[in-house]
Amino acid sequence: MRVGEEERYVEVAEVRKVYRSGTAEAIEAVSSVSFTVARGQFVAVLGPSGCGKSTLLMMVGGLEAVTAGRITIGGEPMTGPRTSIGIMFQDATLLPWKSAYDNVLFPIRVLKRPLASYRDGARQLLERVGLDGFMHKKPHELSGGMRQRVAICRALVYDPELLLMDEPFSALDAITRDEMNELLLDLWQQYTKTALFVTHSIREAVFLADRVLVMTRRPATIVEDLTIPFARPRPMAIGESREFNEICGHLRKRIEEGHYRERGSRFEASMARKELVG
Amino acid sequence: MTAEYPVAPRIVAPPVWQIGKALLAERRLQQLRPVILPALTAAAVLLAWQIVVTALRVPAVILPPPVEIAHELWRVLPALLHHAVPTTLDSVMAFFTASALGIGLAIVITYSPFVRDMLYPNLVLFQLIPKVALAPLFVVWLGISSESRVAFATFVSFFPVVISAVVGFANIEASAMRLCRSLTATEWQSFVMVRFPFALPAIFSGMKIAMTMAVIGVIIGEFISAKAGLGFYILYASSRMETAVIFAALLVLCVIGVALFGAVALAEGLVRRSYGRR
Repeated sequence: MRVGEEERYVEVAEVRKVYRSGTAEAIEAVSSVSFTVARGQFVAVLGPSGCGKSTLLMMVGGLEAVTAGRITIGGEPMTGPRTSIGIMFQDATLLPWKSAYDNVLFPIRVLKRPLASYRDGARQLLERVGLDGFMHKKPHELSGGMRQRVAICRALVYDPELLLMDEPFSALDAITRDEMNELLLDLWQQYTKTALFVTHSIREAVFLADRVLVMTRRPATIVEDLTIPFARPRPMAIGESREFNEICGHLRKRIEEGHYRERGSRFEASMARKELVG
Repeated sequence: MTAEYPVAPRIVAPPVWQIGKALLAERRLQQLRPVILPALTAAAVLLAWQIVVTALRVPAVILPPPVEIAHELWRVLPALLHHAVPTTLDSVMAFFTASALGIGLAIVITYSPFVRDMLYPNLVLFQLIPKVALAPLFVVWLGISSESRVAFATFVSFFPVVISAVVGFANIEASAMRLCRSLTATEWQSFVMVRFPFALPAIFSGMKIAMTMAVIGVIIGEFISAKAGLGFYILYASSRMETAVIFAALLVLCVIGVALFGAVALAEGLVRRSYGRR
């Protein structure tokens, strides 16, 4: 691997996404976003709902095409989904007729890898997330948090280099969510993947990530790239520290600025319209 | 004056085991209600039928009493069973052909937008034509052989399978397909591993309708052109004014219909055990 590629393992360069549907006005979901992620780094993309952060993640995962710009991973431009990427979606997306264990092994079947050499791995992962007693339960017998744990195992079982997570815990209650965050950090430390995590929770982003990218709605772009100074492993208790809360406060301000700008521009637009009419 | 206090009557409680027994009997009755109630209703109707027909001296040619039907059933049972064989075989044959063709065409419609736009609206329109009216055409085209009747019954029972399978294949959860795409699954893999199992309940509901339609198709075919089969036998009995025999044949037909439908429902149950959502 060439020098610098470790630093720019994921490279997103002036990426733009515009949705056009029929005669309706084109919608710019992402406008000119650029950032890089070093190998082994955990980066969170933080922003309000509807700011295009999920679209951005899907483009990095090769599930959505870019309208303009370029995404490269490991030096290779993205053209479609890759097996070196594991994705966690907002909902667990488990197959309802398969047990937890078989759901974890689903990628291995799709990728036609030898099942025998992944069985132990799958079992260990499930034990690791505390589901040893639930391996042969079907999804409808599991709680929401348990289902997301199965989804984590499924994303890790085929050993991808990059883990993409699209608000994976947003549907869970606050207590379960904290548990899942701790568990995710634990797993991430053990498996050291490069991770890109999309969330609208400021505290979640600060607790998990090495770097937080703040995205705003209009324009749908990154306005802040903040390095989080906390060492790892991070205990849950750092959430009470002054520094943690100061960082959260700072990020909240940046997000709010985005809101004001948006409102401001709407206000100006309405003024302009009035002038035209008047 | 001495106050007279009302004396509470002594309540003699029944022994505990008797209460338990009574409760148990009550619960058993509740459980058997779905079986007992319709059976009693049918018995009551038969009884009323017998009484009314006898009391009003309705001629047996118009409406024979149930007792006479039972008598006739016993008398002509060998002939009925003989004629039941081709009817059953042709129905089963038509059912399997219709299911295979229906699911096959649904797959083509699902994966080819061109074929879908070309065929699907026409299929839905065709569904509205009383297809039974086309039976004489099949005689013109295919003669009066058993194949002609199977072809007609296939034609009649094919539409519910196509339409329900198309709906089943289309109603798949988008997130499950996105998961397949992210794992670089081929179209064939996504179909076999995800889309088809998801569509199974819809396909089976179409197949259950197809089974009853197939029997109807065969009987109509036999009405028009046959030298054997229950349809033929009913027509024959009708020409000889043997009304009780007609009813006996209908009874056998009813048993066959229930058995065939039951077989499909049983197959559905078996498949659901491994592919059920619950």
